[in-house]
Amino acid sequence: MDDRENYGASMIRMWRVYRTAKQLCFDRGYQMLEEETQIPLAEFANKFMREDGEPDRGRMHFSCQPTEAMLAKYAVPPTAKDPNPPPQIGNIWVEFNADENVGLKQLRDYMQHLVNGSYYNGIMVCAKPMTGMALRLLRGSAGLEEGPKGGVDVFVEQDLLVNITKHDLVPTHILLSRDEKSQLLERYRLKETQLPRIQTSDPVARYLGLRRGQVVKIIRRSETAGRYASYRWAI
Amino acid sequence: MPPKSILKNSAVSTNAPPASSKPVNPRHLETAIHHARILEQRKVVERQVLDSIITLLDFPSTADADPKQPSAADARQFRDFMVPFQPSDYDSLIEERNIADKCGYALCPRPKRKAPSTARKQFVDTAKGVEIVDRKVLEVWCSDDCARRALYVKVQLNEEPAWMRQGGVGDKIELMVENADEHHKALPLRLKREAAPKAPAPKDEDDIAAAWAARDDALADLALERGEKPGRLSKANKDLMTENIKERVVASKPPVAPSLNEGQSHMAIEGHVPKTDAATAEQDEDEDPQDWDKHLPG
Ligand SMILES: [Zn+2]
Repeated sequence: MDDRENYGASMIRMWRVYRTAKQLCFDRGYQMLEEETQIPLAEFANKFMREDGEPDRGRMHFSCQPTEAMLAKYAVPPTAKDPNPPPQIGNIWVEFNADENVGLKQLRDYMQHLVNGSYYNGIMVCAKPMTGMALRLLRGSAGLEEGPKGGVDVFVEQDLLVNITKHDLVPTHILLSRDEKSQLLERYRLKETQLPRIQTSDPVARYLGLRRGQVVKIIRRSETAGRYASYRWAI
Repeated sequence: MPPKSILKNSAVSTNAPPASSKPVNPRHLETAIHHARILEQRKVVERQVLDSIITLLDFPSTADADPKQPSAADARQFRDFMVPFQPSDYDSLIEERNIADKCGYALCPRPKRKAPSTARKQFVDTAKGVEIVDRKVLEVWCSDDCARRALYVKVQLNEEPAWMRQGGVGDKIELMVENADEHHKALPLRLKREAAPKAPAPKDEDDIAAAWAARDDALADLALERGEKPGRLSKANKDLMTENIKERVVASKPPVAPSLNEGQSHMAIEGHVPKTDAATAEQDEDEDPQDWDKHLPG
């Protein structure tokens, strides 16, 4: 149905990466039609194939807005001092970098672009891993003045060839809002530090863009117990 | 009644103080604090190195700067930045400058050299004949001269992480420059081109001179081979220092106090005849270049 024999390996590869990136935004809660996450190869090629048959990464970028549900998830409880705090989420910019080597220069240009466009955060998909110094900047960038508020997530194309969350053995992860989190802790009389943990560098955590301090509900299917849930605290 | 905890019982019990709570062993506490402090220092140094590299991406400060004769301000800042750098950090600096299309030497404003084609392997004419080199290796510097100057800095860098160094960071990094006079405040710089005849140095100074000479030879070899790649230099660096050092040829004549050639004395300034001819300068440099530290105060 995809008539794949008409397209080169790099085109098919990039199509898969693009689809996963769209699914990732959909799963994080951005406004997106489900059909956008299932774009057929022919349509993708029609949009993004260069004359030489290679994908044109420079034109693949897109942006999304959070849904109402997502805004609610990232809502901050009002306080006396700040009765109407803004949600900790906003528009996202997704870009596919075509450079052979990505270092501080590209990353800083990208961060500047996000700031200029008032994006809350961004996703940069690179053909190859970034330089060590760029990664160092990335680790320290969230919350710094030089970058967007929500930071930058960097993926290597290889990471997105397959959508790991669609794998049968990967349980469903659902982010809890701040409210839901405090309800959970209250209900079980727990401190968050008593919850089992999940690293923010965990592949699923990265897919969902988990931040430190957030809690995810993990739903597993069990043949004996049906569905059961556990909770993890992101560190 | 609240629902049962979803956690193992042990998680709850950790809240209560242990039954037989012993006082904290002060030595363990000290060790823990020591490690925490090192970790903290490491973070600070890593951030500092990153900031320096970001600044050095836009170096030198003027587009027409000459890497042979950097401005005093640029040279000083570059040298100060280099103190906490490890050789691997220096490789990162070169890598980042190269990605930004610049010559790897931070005091050079020129773009890096472009290989004649985009092929991964390149043929290069060298003194030893045609060699096959990685394109990435070719495209690190704008010139062999910059390679020499850049690697001259690298071999001085401390392999030990700055946060582990004993006695603080007192290391001084020197640059290879030709306008040392303008940098007199920024000693010790090595006065590369100044090869005035001087009285023979005492024995230990000879040793220092020999060490400098060996280092220069090693650097020259390296520049010739250009076999280093950013990102995995450290090993090559050690090989360079231990394997490629050549013995100086011992002069057959006993050393004689230098005297000015006849007919040149009117050219001398304080016993020094300024050189104009590059070839003579090269030659003199081989014979007696190692008096850089004479200019150190004290
Ligand atoms: Zn240069």
